[in-house]
Amino acid sequence: MATLRVEHLNKTFPAIERGSDATTAIDDLSFEIGGHVFVSVVGPSGCGKSTLLNIVSGIETATHGSVSVSEDGSPARLGYVFQEPRLLPWRTVMQNMLYVLEGEDVPDRARDYLRMVGLDDAGGKFPAQLSGGMQQRVGIARAFAVEPDLLLMDEPFSHLDAITARSLREQLQGIWTEAKKTVLFVTHDIAEAVQLSNRVLILAPGGRLFADLPIELPYPRKASDTEVAMAQAELLRRFEEMQEETDAARATDVAS
Amino acid sequence: MSSVPVARASRGGRPPSLVTRRRVRGIAGLVIGVGGFLLVWTLLSALIFGPFTLPPPSRIGSVMWEIVRSGQFIHHFVPTILRLAYGFGLALLIGFPVGYLMGTSRWWRAFFHDMTIVAGSIPGITYAVLALVVFGIKILGPILSVGLVSMPYVAINVAEGLDSVDHRLVQMSDAYGRRRASIVRNVLIPSVAPFAFAGVRLSFALAWKVEQLTEVFGSSSGVGFQIRHEFEDFSIPGMLAWVLLFVIFMILVERFVLAKLERYLFRWRLEDRP
Repeated sequence: MATLRVEHLNKTFPAIERGSDATTAIDDLSFEIGGHVFVSVVGPSGCGKSTLLNIVSGIETATHGSVSVSEDGSPARLGYVFQEPRLLPWRTVMQNMLYVLEGEDVPDRARDYLRMVGLDDAGGKFPAQLSGGMQQRVGIARAFAVEPDLLLMDEPFSHLDAITARSLREQLQGIWTEAKKTVLFVTHDIAEAVQLSNRVLILAPGGRLFADLPIELPYPRKASDTEVAMAQAELLRRFEEMQEETDAARATDVAS
Repeated sequence: MSSVPVARASRGGRPPSLVTRRRVRGIAGLVIGVGGFLLVWTLLSALIFGPFTLPPPSRIGSVMWEIVRSGQFIHHFVPTILRLAYGFGLALLIGFPVGYLMGTSRWWRAFFHDMTIVAGSIPGITYAVLALVVFGIKILGPILSVGLVSMPYVAINVAEGLDSVDHRLVQMSDAYGRRRASIVRNVLIPSVAPFAFAGVRLSFALAWKVEQLTEVFGSSSGVGFQIRHEFEDFSIPGMLAWVLLFVIFMILVERFVLAKLERYLFRWRLEDRP
């Protein structure tokens, strides 16, 4: 398990057209996570959640500040579950797994993780032969199979129907408890964040850290549990607070 | 429970599947189409033109059989196919790198774009005549005319294939730390392949016609040479027989080699969702 350290992170996208302003996606963000934790980042759309994951994974670079992922000083292995499955359509499920894996026990590991998401028989199929939910499960199996020190998940259930998403959330808790990974999970769904994580970071528009809240409830959690519902209400209250503050700040801006 | 017998009944007395019905319909269409064409041909030959101007299909058929039986077909066919293969190989050899440059660099796209469009719009006969005048009738002329006429299609399709690469898959590969060579093999080449293949099929359809033209204009062997030879002898049955033999061969290559290969290579696209 790795430690992710984000220090004074800033990401500004340059203006696309002349005359328009540069956009600040993340502004002076600092936090640290490590160990067997499930940390969710929630916030309204456009608050830099996905950008944060892209910087952590190295797909994008930071404008200022630093992001380091270390596993006892050595560089850490990352797993990434995207909003869409992002499988290679011309490779079978098994080949998709093998594409990202390295090492000797690779086919066994791929099979183990496919079994974990309930797709032991799907190895020889092409992605187009699977439903959307099954494809996303392959994406999850792939990310766990690299046995990452840090697992990044970017709204992995947002494109799925409510019933599939619900069952995958329950499965994910089981896999996470078993595999003991550090997870950084991005979502705009507060209920989902509360059900899955033991720590929630709320980002305000402009990519500022608004709150850092622990959720101390035992796993597995169901969306219908009373404690989960209460924690959800509490989080929602903080979210509304954040929105009121943002609106007030915007009003002052306009007035001045 | 009533659901069990119903399920069994539908399995036992299964109606022909949609695929089978489509295939039967396709074959029926083909047979009626070809049969109708031969019938019209026979009628035109008998009632309007007369058997000397337009010999009936049966006459052409027997000449075709004679050409094949005497070994003449193989004798002239081999050089034609070899020239076609070399020319086509040349087109791929130049078309792929040019397409790769156009698909990956703005500068090279600007450099090649108009030239490939112009090269693709020039009529095949121009290439045929030009290649013969410049490079002679031996072997280089026909090969180069086939190469020139096919190359733009290959290049443009490869470039378009590279344009269509899903960058989210490249990002995924980067996030999982895949090396460049692995990304090329697993993401870029499979993305480009359907486009490249379409380019190959399209240019193949043109290439063999241009190949025939060059042989008609100037060559001392090959199917095109035989077509001219028969023409000079005023032998319409001989001319038509050679043309038809070659057309049939090309259709067979298209149907049974290229189309089958395409189905196999891109089987991941043809699978239906459950």
